[in-house]
Amino acid sequence: MKRNKFARVVLGHLAPLLCAAACNAQEPAKVELQPISPSGWRLQVNGAAFSMHGAGGAEAPGLLEKLKEAGGNCVRTWSVETLEAKVTGGARFIDRAQQLGLMVVPGLWIEHERHGFNYSDPAKVQAQREKVVAAVRRYKHHPAVLVWGLGNEMEGPASPTGSVAVFKEIEELTKLIKQEDPAHPVMSVIAFNAAKVENVQRHCPSLDILGVNSYGGAAGAGEALKRAGWTKPFVVTEFGVRGPWEVPATAWGAPLEPTSHEKARTFYATQRLVTELNEGKEQCLGTFAFVWGWKQERTATWFGMFLPTLEKLSPVDAMTKAWTGQWPAQRCPEIRALTSAAAGQTVKPGQTLTADLDMEQPAGGVCTYRWLVVAESAAPGVGGDAEAVPPAFPELVTQNNSTHCVFTSPAAAGPYRLFVTVQDGKGGAATANFPFRVAP
Amino acid sequence: MNSYVNSIVAALLAAFVLVQPAAAAPDFGDHKSETLTSKAWKAHGSGNAEEALAYVGKCIELYEAEAKKMQEALKELPATEPKEETFKRWALNDVGTCLFIKGEVLLKKGDKQGAKEAFAKLVAGFKWAQCWDEKGWFWKPADAAKQKLVELEFDEKK
Repeated sequence: MKRNKFARVVLGHLAPLLCAAACNAQEPAKVELQPISPSGWRLQVNGAAFSMHGAGGAEAPGLLEKLKEAGGNCVRTWSVETLEAKVTGGARFIDRAQQLGLMVVPGLWIEHERHGFNYSDPAKVQAQREKVVAAVRRYKHHPAVLVWGLGNEMEGPASPTGSVAVFKEIEELTKLIKQEDPAHPVMSVIAFNAAKVENVQRHCPSLDILGVNSYGGAAGAGEALKRAGWTKPFVVTEFGVRGPWEVPATAWGAPLEPTSHEKARTFYATQRLVTELNEGKEQCLGTFAFVWGWKQERTATWFGMFLPTLEKLSPVDAMTKAWTGQWPAQRCPEIRALTSAAAGQTVKPGQTLTADLDMEQPAGGVCTYRWLVVAESAAPGVGGDAEAVPPAFPELVTQNNSTHCVFTSPAAAGPYRLFVTVQDGKGGAATANFPFRVAP
Repeated sequence: MNSYVNSIVAALLAAFVLVQPAAAAPDFGDHKSETLTSKAWKAHGSGNAEEALAYVGKCIELYEAEAKKMQEALKELPATEPKEETFKRWALNDVGTCLFIKGEVLLKKGDKQGAKEAFAKLVAGFKWAQCWDEKGWFWKPADAAKQKLVELEFDEKK
């Protein structure tokens, strides 16, 4: 017994070393950036051109497989902790990606000033540098590693020009990463605003690639970068549906969320425009659709490309079409219209209301419909920060599971939404919602 | 006799026309491009398609030629700061914006072909028109139109 315990302790200490040794024994992919024209760039992986058909997220078991199935070829994380997450079959995220033939852009998390990190504190800055270098050392030999993703919107998502102190530190970190691992390009990711590019150019000359997170403006990112003087390659590291800050809103400021089908149109158009049609496309190494999964951000459905029950939504079909040229065999249901006299209106407490769906169901079969009244998010996060899930009121829906819904407005005054989720029983789903307000 | 009957018919028709509730005639105000564009946005926002089309139609009719001149005078997309410089290209900005509104209105009415034509005309002829968003930035109607054209293509690929 004692010996077993001793063996466990020894093995426990040895395991990371053995793992590191095993990882070191693997051959990293040969990743190169090549200029292909006066302003064009190409990423080469093991000698072949590689256009990033990527997605951000895919952290829940089963989602990497769905990315591969949809025609994706790489995935982006926001931190290296995700690389260790256990996914399908208990495999590590990074190993499962490799098994599926997906490349990984490991996110090296960089702290944000808006979260209280002080870039004037030498001890904290040094600790962060050591953490970043340790992460690079740990994963640099893994064959799935494509490009390092240094930070995410760390310069300040709402700042017009970004924090100079942060950009200067990005340069120091880039140099340290390159010393540790000259084999993989380094990309840093900003919340896109062309006015930040001047600071990136001035303070981050060692960066290989600029990652830009952009929603409504993603299609024009290449042109905007070019105009701002960016001559290196770029990647659209987050794109998708227009953000809540970019769409029309009700009189009380509740943004109008597009249906899942309307979102699909935007995904498709943005992908084609930024990579194939618009100025600057020759500098674009690819894109990452956001978010390959689900997330509470303003609403439970705004950015998610899947339901938590793993059904895909129309944006997944759109990306499949954009990446492969083919529609998937099973298409998601499509909401043509969600109508209600309460949509975008102020109603009385306890009022009986109705809503109706106009649907198309390409996959056939019988759909299930789930209507739900949910309070509006009380404190929407900034820059994708974690956000509390607002309370739901299932008891207020008195006629559910059909295209026609009868519901009662809540007794308490305030802003709400009526959500509908349609599931086709074949792995596809559709979502829509509208805001309404209760006032006495 | 015939002329008598014709007179009666004409009188009846005139009376019929007079008693018809008059459709709200668009009020073009001072006919300035910014007035017409602003009224078009408002009519579109309140779901009044015909009124919106009347305003955009008038703006395009009156200022398209000037807008073309302004577009042709540009060698590249000018900087948007200071804002006043951009506002100097008033005809280009307003005609471009009106073509975008026209496309949006027609799309909402289900006239996809008409919408495509409006968007395509904007992309081809007024690519550097800019529209001020009250949130604090300029956006380019031609870029938005280009996006709409690809979105329409997406729907056709079904």
